Amino acid sequence: MDFWRRKKREEELDAEVQSHLQMAARERVERGDTSNDAEHAARREFGNVGLVKEFTRDVWGWRWLRDIADDARYGLRMLAKNPGFAIVAILSLALGIGATTAVFSVVYAVLVNPYPYANSDRMVHLVVHDTNGNRRYVNLNGPQLQQLRKATSVESSAAMDGWDLTTTEGDLPENVQGVYLTSNAFVHFGMPTLLGRGLLPSDAPEGQDPESVVVLGYQFWQRHYGGDPHIVGKNIQLVHKSYSIVGVVRPRFTWGDGEVYLPLKLTADPVRTYFPMIRLKPGVTRAAANAEFQSLVEQFAKQTPTHFPEHFRMAIEGLNDHFVTDIGGTLYLLLAAVALLLLIGCGNVSILLLARGTARQHELAVRSAIGAEGSRLLRQLLTEALMLSFAGAVIGVALANSLVKLIVNWLPEFSFPHEAAISINMPVLFFSVSLALLTGIVFGISPALQFARPDVARVMQANTRKITTGVRGRQTHSVLIAGQIALTLLLLAGAGVAIRGFVGMMRVNLGYDPHNTMSVGIPVHDNTYTTWEARRGYFSQLLQKVGAMPEVVSAGLSTNATPPSNGWEQRFEISGKPVAEQQRARINFISPGYFSVLRIPLLQGRIWDESETMHGSKLALINQTLARQYFPNGDAIGSEIRVPELKGEPPFQLAVAGSDSWFQVVGIVGDARDDGLRNPVKPSVFVPYTIKMPVWTQILVRTKVPPLRILRAVREQIHTVDPDQQASRNVRDLDGWITTQPEWEQGHLVATLFAGFAILALALAATGLYSVISFAVSQRTGEFGIRMALGARPKDVLLMVFRSAAMSVTGGVLAGVVLTITLNRVLARWIQGSSLDAMILAGVILLLVATSALSCFIPARRASSLDPTVALRYE
Amino acid sequence: MVEKKARYQNRIELLQGTLDLLILQTLQWGSQHGYGISVAIRNRSGELLQVDTGSLYPALHRLEKQKWIKAEWRISENKQRAKFYQLTAAGKRQLTRERSKWSQLSDAIAGVLQPEE
Repeated sequence: MDFWRRKKREEELDAEVQSHLQMAARERVERGDTSNDAEHAARREFGNVGLVKEFTRDVWGWRWLRDIADDARYGLRMLAKNPGFAIVAILSLALGIGATTAVFSVVYAVLVNPYPYANSDRMVHLVVHDTNGNRRYVNLNGPQLQQLRKATSVESSAAMDGWDLTTTEGDLPENVQGVYLTSNAFVHFGMPTLLGRGLLPSDAPEGQDPESVVVLGYQFWQRHYGGDPHIVGKNIQLVHKSYSIVGVVRPRFTWGDGEVYLPLKLTADPVRTYFPMIRLKPGVTRAAANAEFQSLVEQFAKQTPTHFPEHFRMAIEGLNDHFVTDIGGTLYLLLAAVALLLLIGCGNVSILLLARGTARQHELAVRSAIGAEGSRLLRQLLTEALMLSFAGAVIGVALANSLVKLIVNWLPEFSFPHEAAISINMPVLFFSVSLALLTGIVFGISPALQFARPDVARVMQANTRKITTGVRGRQTHSVLIAGQIALTLLLLAGAGVAIRGFVGMMRVNLGYDPHNTMSVGIPVHDNTYTTWEARRGYFSQLLQKVGAMPEVVSAGLSTNATPPSNGWEQRFEISGKPVAEQQRARINFISPGYFSVLRIPLLQGRIWDESETMHGSKLALINQTLARQYFPNGDAIGSEIRVPELKGEPPFQLAVAGSDSWFQVVGIVGDARDDGLRNPVKPSVFVPYTIKMPVWTQILVRTKVPPLRILRAVREQIHTVDPDQQASRNVRDLDGWITTQPEWEQGHLVATLFAGFAILALALAATGLYSVISFAVSQRTGEFGIRMALGARPKDVLLMVFRSAAMSVTGGVLAGVVLTITLNRVLARWIQGSSLDAMILAGVILLLVATSALSCFIPARRASSLDPTVALRYE
Repeated sequence: MVEKKARYQNRIELLQGTLDLLILQTLQWGSQHGYGISVAIRNRSGELLQVDTGSLYPALHRLEKQKWIKAEWRISENKQRAKFYQLTAAGKRQLTRERSKWSQLSDAIAGVLQPEE
């Protein structure tokens, strides 16, 4: 029924009733009644005008719809009359729903269902643990892979290799991350492509070179080709070779973060290794698979001992195991935090609805007295509560959407699988919204249940004097408030711990100067500079060119030594001392300029010079930690150390002759962070980069201007040495490398979100308390008036109000402290690098008590500044 | 006061479904507004039948919805604007049906109540 027609009908009904009354009255006047009496009599005879209209309207049909519309309109009017209440209630729900949904969506996408590949739960990585507990991925050569494929636990296996390629079409070569996959890999992953086809066995025929075909990664296709839908069949130039594009993978296929996927042909060369990918047969346990792989890999270790640790234990890992360890705790912690927030939000809404329900007792009694049925009142209250819940849910969904994006931006880049499709999780959204609606329903109609059959006369008389509310209602309020405060305290304590941990990490003494410095990665192409002399010449030429730029203060080479997490951890020996198995140090390959670029001080001895570098002289510098730990008598300089594993593997790793023999220690340098921001500095050894050169190096550049600004100029200089040489895509300044450390990003994520959630919780709890006290004060206005008329001072009233809140606040704080201390161990495990102490706890309690006092003070002051005569007449 | 109460007690509750018949019958004599209908029923029943407005108006609107009567706004003899109802052709047929149903019913009841001979 449309609105205008209905309105007209309403008006007609009204006119009809009016004409009836007038005619009845007129007749009475004609019979001799006075007009006043006649009107009253006519009205009395007619009966309840509202009810008659109501029954008549029933005939029109659509009653339920009309009632809902009426309820909604009335509800809106009630909410608009009290906008503060409505806003707080809606926001409480929205925050709870939004935060819970967002965090759970991330948890689900990252931890529960990250991979789009077929049977990804049975896909595993081969990982071995050496005797020192270090974890290492196993790489195998061609013949070994063939053998692995036949293992009884293996259902399917494929192999990959990675090289940084370049496009050679633009003015400067662009880095393209190439992932080479055996031609069965697309079958192994069991995932169809977005466009064209995946790699096929015919792309790498037995005994021949692979075909020049390429499958594009989704991101690369988007970035480089703008998502061109007709790309299949076109060609791409990579390092001067033309490849035919045969397909584009789906967005979630990000194996190896490949930008292009090319066919890989396994060679029989025992030196060349590949990364195996395995899917276990259904029903094969990890233990059974480990047992089989252990003996298999032990056999492989006899063939190629340099590829494996001396002693190892097989420990295969599911695809996501590593990420679960990395970030699982963090995410579950956040999930707990938002669940608390949702609880607090729902608690707040219940408090508000209950308090309001109590305050509306009088209104409900009046409506019941003039003929409203109990079920009608119930429906009215339900409509209002549902309107609140629904508005909260809508805003909550919007909030969840933006919060998910925020969290995705802040996730540590390499601590979650890039296959994960992080988007709003519908079941959880549904759950949160249902919870919010349920809260609305339960607490919205509880006053109606209480007053559905009110003792109208009593309520109307009692409440016109506003003496006090029932004890039971107040008990429910107290429990809810106490619960809210306890949960808020827990959240605040968690936030305190997280923030202190993060601030501590930011203040950590790095031992080097990261400002105005960047590292430019140089990936060396396959089959280039394959002799020691050629690669040494190439690297030193690159360094010279970049070092001569006018904007550059100093430059150095750092194969693997860019802090704050650097070096190759290896067992080392000291000449003339017994060899201990756990004697390990981080080996760094650098040019002598390294220390001045990073401003790491030389404490003792000397740094080797250019000509010693060019000769690959076996000289070493050690850091303070190593000196202190292994040369407590200060006899480090002049001693000799040796790294037995320091060997070359041409054509990839080019080492100087005798690289695994003794090195003379010539100096000691200051400690700089080498194992992340949280862990203590590990013993480090620095040797000339020419000792061993892999297919990768980095140029460290200290500049006069913000370093990334001259990146293009640096790339042009590199271009002059080798026109095909690109810089890696991932160029950052050293501050950038600090803020992309997983512990930094995790700390940042946890501290920021936790603090945000805790502040929201505090705000919610404060408004909850404020509303309850306000309602209580307005309920007791008459009582306060009487008390003040009888001589109570404003101070007494103030205290009285405070006392009414003190119980629930104290109870809540106590419960919160108990809860926090009980959960402290869980907190400590998940918020690494910081723990709860008395300081944090005291601060949190103080903050909470102060906030509570403030929320009580405002209504309490209102009560105490009442004029008794006004208060007594207050309606 | 006593007299008034007695009068009220003498009124007869309308049988379910008979109100429609009474309204239709009243309108048979000419179009009428709600108040007029209630007065007519009261007068013709010798003050015994008092139509409750809470039943009358819903019944009028229901009959209108069933297209047995139609309404129009007119000025009454007292120069007052009122909603007049009048029988439609369908309403006349309905009245015939209702009347025969009623006479069947009253015959049946009379038969039941007749003292056995």
